[in-house]
Amino acid sequence: MSDRRAELERKKAKLQALREEKDRRRREKELKDVEEAANRTILGGGGDRKELDEMLSSLGVAPVSDVLSSISSANSLTPEHSMNHTPDTSLQPHSLPNNVLASKKRLPSLTVNAVQTTNIPPKEVVLYTKQTQTNTTGGHERDGYMEDWWRPRKAHATDYYDEYNLNPGLEWEDEFTGEEDEGSLPHMGGYGSKLPPGILPHGLPQVKEVQPAQTQLEQEQNKQEVKEVKELSEEQKQMIILSEEFQHFMDRAGRVMERAICEAVDIYTDYSGGPGEDGQDEKSHQRLALNRCFYDERWSRNRVVTSLDWSTQFPELLLASYNHNEESPNEPDGVVLVWNTKFKKSTPEYVFHCQSGVLCTTFARFHPNLILGGTYSGQIVLWDNRVQKRTPIQRTPLSASAHTHPVYCMSVVGSQNAHNLISVSTDGRMCSWSLDMLGQPQEILDLHRMQSKPVAVTCLDFPHSDINNFVVGSEEGSAYSACRHGAKAGISETYDGHQGPVMGVSVNGVQGGIDFSHMFLTASIDWTVKLWSLKDSKPLYSFEDNGDYVLDVKWSPAHPAMFAAVDGSGRLDLWNLNQDTEVPSAGVVVEGGPALNKVSWTPSGLHVTVGDNQGKIWVYDVAENFAHPRHDEWNKFLYTTQELRNNQVDDELEKLNYSVSSTALSSISSVPPMR
Amino acid sequence: MANEVEDTMKRIQSHKGVVGTIVVNSEGIPIKSTLDNTTTVQYAGLISSLSDKARSVVRDLDPSNDLTFLRIRSKKHEIMVAPDKEFILIVVQNPTD
Repeated sequence: MSDRRAELERKKAKLQALREEKDRRRREKELKDVEEAANRTILGGGGDRKELDEMLSSLGVAPVSDVLSSISSANSLTPEHSMNHTPDTSLQPHSLPNNVLASKKRLPSLTVNAVQTTNIPPKEVVLYTKQTQTNTTGGHERDGYMEDWWRPRKAHATDYYDEYNLNPGLEWEDEFTGEEDEGSLPHMGGYGSKLPPGILPHGLPQVKEVQPAQTQLEQEQNKQEVKEVKELSEEQKQMIILSEEFQHFMDRAGRVMERAICEAVDIYTDYSGGPGEDGQDEKSHQRLALNRCFYDERWSRNRVVTSLDWSTQFPELLLASYNHNEESPNEPDGVVLVWNTKFKKSTPEYVFHCQSGVLCTTFARFHPNLILGGTYSGQIVLWDNRVQKRTPIQRTPLSASAHTHPVYCMSVVGSQNAHNLISVSTDGRMCSWSLDMLGQPQEILDLHRMQSKPVAVTCLDFPHSDINNFVVGSEEGSAYSACRHGAKAGISETYDGHQGPVMGVSVNGVQGGIDFSHMFLTASIDWTVKLWSLKDSKPLYSFEDNGDYVLDVKWSPAHPAMFAAVDGSGRLDLWNLNQDTEVPSAGVVVEGGPALNKVSWTPSGLHVTVGDNQGKIWVYDVAENFAHPRHDEWNKFLYTTQELRNNQVDDELEKLNYSVSSTALSSISSVPPMR
Repeated sequence: MANEVEDTMKRIQSHKGVVGTIVVNSEGIPIKSTLDNTTTVQYAGLISSLSDKARSVVRDLDPSNDLTFLRIRSKKHEIMVAPDKEFILIVVQNPTD
């Protein structure tokens, strides 16, 4: 027993010596590293070894490369520090011979291992020195401790441990020590070592214990911050609220939030229980059903809806212009609102206004952000929804070179690259504008009837994709076809027939097998809607079903034979000429019977919107089977128009006959008294 | 301009089912609120940290992505969060009836 103990002591001492040697080397290495690092930093990076060498040689020191080689050779002399190689360099092919050298040195290391098996206690000493830094214990934390224990050593003496990577024998030794640590520690107490049993578990967790303490501190700090955060004086709040950033945020977030709130879709609908909604079916049978109503208490109350337009980029956006509100003279006269039909929110997407009443408005078709308005004063105004500003960002001058009378109608015509804004005022002046230059019209054309009398234009329509020819309606009750360019620029044809001012004109714009773009409709104060062909100066047909001013009329964009008409008694009528020409195919009286000033179809032809004189816009759904044309509708409509024409001829013949006979009668009857 | 902020708040608040509206800055400090003080502070602290966490999740999944909206549906309420760089808009509403 005593022999063994002596042997143990001897080996312990030997190991201790080895260890000290290792430590010494490590310290040396660290020192060297530090020196080197210092040199590098002084020289501003290790890139310029030449410079360094020059400097060293000037000081009488050997160049860096020499020093490095000497270090590596010195290392190779000792069995433990065989190579000064990083793993990266060992992977390179030229270092292969070194690997061979390294593998040769495995044998001595194996013998060391054999000794190590009995050498458990000395490690305790090492552990004990480390224990001084630790506080608590925990079985689970041992692993963590081992990891943490490894890291700093590796970081400080990378080269030293890299040797182990090259030298599997040594590496195994290290691993062995690691395993031995874990496995032997509980066993140690039983072995009766010098250390009291309580200390052993102490040694294990070092960093782990400290880390949670830090995070707790941090958490506490955070909590404190949150608590401090509460304090924000009214002034500070006001400052933030008034900052532009905040305004922008509220504008954006408010918009999004409103849409989100109004999205009434219940994602938890359970179809497995309870009866479904029956009300839907009834609705779908109607050809014309109210969908919703757009109204804003502040901006649209008591204002007449003067025009409606749809965005081409965003088909859900509806643009509406409003005239002045007589009850509130302090509010701006003209208002333009952008409504969104996609979301169920009841407030306008954008609000714009200007000093003069807006009589017509349109999206600048090829600029999704711009909105144009024609005003009572004659100015054309331009709004931009990118700007946090409700007033126009641009306006045309009020001069004799432009409009000086109210502008009731305008239209953007052309293509993406070449388009113009066409506006017509009630003095018959037509201006075409470039949207880049609203300072001056590009072109002016005065529309005259019979060379002298100006045409008081109230409405205008361009046939589909036509930029030259157009049709206008006038206050004197006539409609005119006109063209912008050519030898006969101006009014080309007159269509007399109405007894009162023409309030609406619409050219058939449905694309299909047969072109009906020569057919147009006019709505008039004389209670009638008339159907015309550009080729005929007499109306093809007169729809006389209304008992009030007919204020607007619009062809359906989808169905060639369908149009909508609105009148002053709140009636919205849909006519399908292929079904009936005497009475409307579908009709509804808007709630409250307000005078309906404008009507507009959505581009799909599935909804009709009407604007009234109280500032409300009503959106009606048109039943799909009613709104969509069957493939034979075009031929049918051709047949219908032919029939209407024949009837008209018959009527005229009849009238002629009647007048002839009546004159004959009168001549007969007038004869006797003469005698 | 401050009027428009008021208007927006009022509009949102006037929607059926909306219980409260809170605007919080990036540090979780309430700036505007329609709820009482304690509830506001509670919502502000909790939601801003949740929104920060949600944002970091989104960004960790895809660094080029960002959180734009957060909707929390619970049995009693629905909390809608519109986060931004500087501010967070929180709306609490009763679910659709």
